[in-house]
Amino acid sequence: MACPETLRVQAYFDGELDASASAEIERHVEACGECMALLRSLEAVHGAMRQPALYHRASPKLESRITAALNRETGNQWSLAGLILRPRQFWVGAASGVMATALAASLAFLVLLPPTSGQLINDVMGAHLRSLMENHLIDVASSDQHTVKPWFAGHADVSPPTADFPKEDYRLVGGRVDYVDGHRAAVLVYRHGAHTINVFSWARSGDALPNIVTRNGYHEVFWRSGDLVFCAVSDTALDELLGLVRLLKEIGTPDSRE
Amino acid sequence: MNDQRRRFEAQVLPHLDAAHNLARWLARSPDGADDIVQEAILRAFRSFDGFRGGDAKPWLLAIVRNCFFTTVAQTRQKMHVPLPEENASNDDGPLVDKSPDPEFTAIRAEQSRNLDQIVAGLPPEFREVLVLREMEDLSYRDIAQATGAPIGTVMSRLARARALLKERWLRDVEGVRHGMP
Repeated sequence: MACPETLRVQAYFDGELDASASAEIERHVEACGECMALLRSLEAVHGAMRQPALYHRASPKLESRITAALNRETGNQWSLAGLILRPRQFWVGAASGVMATALAASLAFLVLLPPTSGQLINDVMGAHLRSLMENHLIDVASSDQHTVKPWFAGHADVSPPTADFPKEDYRLVGGRVDYVDGHRAAVLVYRHGAHTINVFSWARSGDALPNIVTRNGYHEVFWRSGDLVFCAVSDTALDELLGLVRLLKEIGTPDSRE
Repeated sequence: MNDQRRRFEAQVLPHLDAAHNLARWLARSPDGADDIVQEAILRAFRSFDGFRGGDAKPWLLAIVRNCFFTTVAQTRQKMHVPLPEENASNDDGPLVDKSPDPEFTAIRAEQSRNLDQIVAGLPPEFREVLVLREMEDLSYRDIAQATGAPIGTVMSRLARARALLKERWLRDVEGVRHGMP
């Protein structure tokens, strides 16, 4: 128990290393039995801790308690608000950090959205947030494109081209089916650093699409390939999300089953 | 509904499950967890003006954690009960019945229940890093923000927590297997 790289191997497992450090650790693990064993046990512990039975979600009772408490609280605020002009707090928040980045990104890629796209944007955003919150990120867990793609064929309306991009640090972790835009969309799930990226794809004809949308620090990038519409969603930096979009566009035209 | 409330509900309440999960693992009792979460949400709402954007999740979880430790300190003052980490019997492994069970499915269910008890038996600083990393997918930086510990400490705690969990878990699985007829 003395390999000096154990903490870096752990950081690699947790997606905390950049691409070049990750490559170094991958080479090291191939040569170090101790670190190989460590990686396996990290996976075992991770798998064990992800059992749904261990996750304690808030009960509906707690939710209504909190709504009631906030109502009492807001009641007080209203009586104050009637007397005092409250400053525009939102813009104070917007001027800093992530919000500023998001704001800059949406200005840089300002597009005139087609009228029907509001619902679509919300659909995808809702599905992304639910996948992160409800312990339902992955239906089929695999980094192997030959496992994930056939799984889609049996479960979703479409079977998009699928690939893992470990070198570029976009690691395929699995797939899922989600309802978006009235379709059973196939969802590829990638890890990039500490972030989760969901890539939705479904069959949709005709309508104009939004291009890039940013809401609350989350980016959505839409594109079309063959008969399919794609949307990649994440809270990564926009250029990092576009990096994955570029790779996915390169792997070719999908075959639609519709 | 005012603007403040609307922004709070959009940015903070999506993390309600995460807040409850952390509180439940720290407090180890359902009622205690609900009280902590309600208190934490109210504190978060009152100090929401001071929240400067970014990800609300580590910010909220830091408040949950503070509420938990405040509650523990108050309870200890009133009732002189030991803090969870002073509960020495936990160091001898989980207090579970390892009697033989012929049903494989029952053993599987037992193992899941045991895992619950093994995690619950870890010291609180180990429990919280495990919950934040393995269940909530927080980055090291966010865990550092939520727990107030430096990143180096987060990394070494996480490594020790995982090693301890694995060790106790293996010992438990072995115990169940050896108990089989």
